[in-house]
Amino acid sequence: MGLFESLHICIIALYALGTILFLIGVTTNNEKLKRIAVWLAVAGFTLNTADLALVLGRDSTALNAGKFYFNILAWCVLALYFFFWWRLRLEFLAITALPLALLLFVTSMALGGVRVIMPPELTALFFGLHIGSLVLTLGVLMMAFGSGIAFIYYNRKIKTKAGLSSIGKDVPSLDKFDTVNKWAVTLGFPLFTLGLFSTFFWYLIAPGKQFSWDIMKIGSLVVWFLYAFLFHQRVVLGWRGRKPAILAIWVFAGMCISLVHHTITFRAMP
Amino acid sequence: MNKKIILIGLNHRTAGVDVREKFALTDVEAFEKGLMAHCSVHECMALSTCNRVEIIAIAKNVPEREVLDSLIQYWANACNKSPELLVDNIYQYTDLEAVNHVFTVACSLDSMVMGEPQILGQLKDAYRAAVAKGTAKTIVNRLLHKSFSVAKRVRTETAIASSAVSISYAAVELAKKIFGDLEGTRAMLVGAGEMAELAATHLLRNGVQDVIIANRTFSRAKELAESLGGEPIQIENMSDRLHEVDIVISSTGSPVAVIKAKDVKNVLKKRKNKPMFFIDIAVPRDIDPDVNSLDNVYLYDIDDLTEVVEENMAQRHEEASKARAVVELETEIFGHWLNSLELQPTIVDLVDKIEDIAQRELNKTLRKIGPVDEKTRNALKTLVLSVAHKSLHEPICFLKRRTQEEGSAERFIDMARRMFNLDEENIPPDAHLDRKLDTCSSEDIENLIDVSKNKEQ
Repeated sequence: MGLFESLHICIIALYALGTILFLIGVTTNNEKLKRIAVWLAVAGFTLNTADLALVLGRDSTALNAGKFYFNILAWCVLALYFFFWWRLRLEFLAITALPLALLLFVTSMALGGVRVIMPPELTALFFGLHIGSLVLTLGVLMMAFGSGIAFIYYNRKIKTKAGLSSIGKDVPSLDKFDTVNKWAVTLGFPLFTLGLFSTFFWYLIAPGKQFSWDIMKIGSLVVWFLYAFLFHQRVVLGWRGRKPAILAIWVFAGMCISLVHHTITFRAMP
Repeated sequence: MNKKIILIGLNHRTAGVDVREKFALTDVEAFEKGLMAHCSVHECMALSTCNRVEIIAIAKNVPEREVLDSLIQYWANACNKSPELLVDNIYQYTDLEAVNHVFTVACSLDSMVMGEPQILGQLKDAYRAAVAKGTAKTIVNRLLHKSFSVAKRVRTETAIASSAVSISYAAVELAKKIFGDLEGTRAMLVGAGEMAELAATHLLRNGVQDVIIANRTFSRAKELAESLGGEPIQIENMSDRLHEVDIVISSTGSPVAVIKAKDVKNVLKKRKNKPMFFIDIAVPRDIDPDVNSLDNVYLYDIDDLTEVVEENMAQRHEEASKARAVVELETEIFGHWLNSLELQPTIVDLVDKIEDIAQRELNKTLRKIGPVDEKTRNALKTLVLSVAHKSLHEPICFLKRRTQEEGSAERFIDMARRMFNLDEENIPPDAHLDRKLDTCSSEDIENLIDVSKNKEQ
């Protein structure tokens, strides 16, 4: 077994074990298990970083081929999770971050990612703006998805007077979940806008490329309009709590569908 | 055990408030001094709270009944009441049963509101006073110190104290689930009732920045605002100020709803949907129940809060069985210590400990010098054991002489046990706040010996 295979197995094992331990920790209210799970995620994340660095170190054109976008996405999800953990002490979001990181990493192994052929002179711009910002957007939306579900669930518990014990002692406050949504909207929407419109711009400047509306672009634009609506309601009208949580879940679902659609389209016709 | 632990007391279960108030101790320190002077006890400590009076005494070598009777007689006399009435309402425990009871009380398993933290503070105060007056000595010292650590263990290992069991505490816990940290939040009292005041006090203690008090009688609002450090307003101005606050506690005597859903809807618009928590502790209710159907608004009335409290209370009772198991285990450990306060087991422990050290040092030396024949090995073993035993002659002689003196046996045996750490206790470096954080590793002690010897020379 080569270095990469061993590394990948270790990363999958750490993410999987972390996911299982965190889920058990949440259901049994065991703080120690949850802490161990987060440290396993830290270990997995470190190896994932090393894996990405090794791939790029060995072959810097790997980025052009875009073989490991799902891998980057998995890394990005955890990077954002640690950021939220650091800023908001939201350890709880590991409940979505860890399984999603695992799923994305395994997917990157199975699919090998999206293959995009790009003109070399525009590679850096295209990758930096389009892929980079979209990966980050998806990362923050994953956090918003997790916190959105948690918000709706615990909001219902408090509204229906289900009792403090059923909410759980260590569950973060509704305000914290809403803060994640706020960050996902205020950071994620400009990033998504940048990512989406940079690709339209790329069509204008890339030699031999003709912009035309197709189902893929229309789909992306629909998601953008939904995100723009959420941004407007949250930032301008001051929406908070349940409604933006639901909308963020829809935006995330739209992004996922769009991503899967892109993957299938590019695999069939790079 | 040549000293008997005796505990007599009454509490909310054995005596009604009419009896408890008759036998409450108003001057505990004088009472303890009187007990030492008039009863056959070596040590004593008394605790008197609104729900219980407990007297812990370590009896001299006289019949148990005699000591018990003298304690009851003295207590009844101190309160100018009949001893018969006292006997009808008290419980009596001796030895390990008494130890078990003290641990149970310290862990708040015997409290009216199980798991409440006040009793531990009251016990600590009573102990401090007894130490200051010199009525708490070796056994009471150890018993109380142990009870504090058992209480801490129970709080850490069980969820006995983790949930809210009072209306105001439940309100604070719910507010924390909505807002997280309460720092910077603002509250409003609508009506200045006693319960609302209590809830507001709890909220302020938990970080709420300030409170607005809206009341029909402005003078009462002003009075309460002064005591809580808030701002008084007329109740008519309440709706104009509602958008400024995050938590509203309502307790007016109004027969109709004071806060309506449509008003709150407008308030929410002004607040840009910032969440609000309404606590309605008035009967009839002050706040329109439809308020709870609005997004970002949470309404709890008195029944909702009572349900939360009852559920938490049931949870505490479930945890009590775990806590009792800890108490049983710790009582047994304390029993071992009590038994070790005799001279003979202490001598055995001392010799075992020093022989163990000698054997370990011998093994280290043998490893250093390499293979030796059987005869040399035995000679070395005899040498180290002989040095070890001889070094104990004087301490054992000293202990033997002291234990023949009246009233000092436990003190010196306990001191010897602690000095030689015969009970293998781990003392954290920060156990004594008033002492320097000195480490006690073997290397440190070796260095200290060298330095001391060099200075002497």
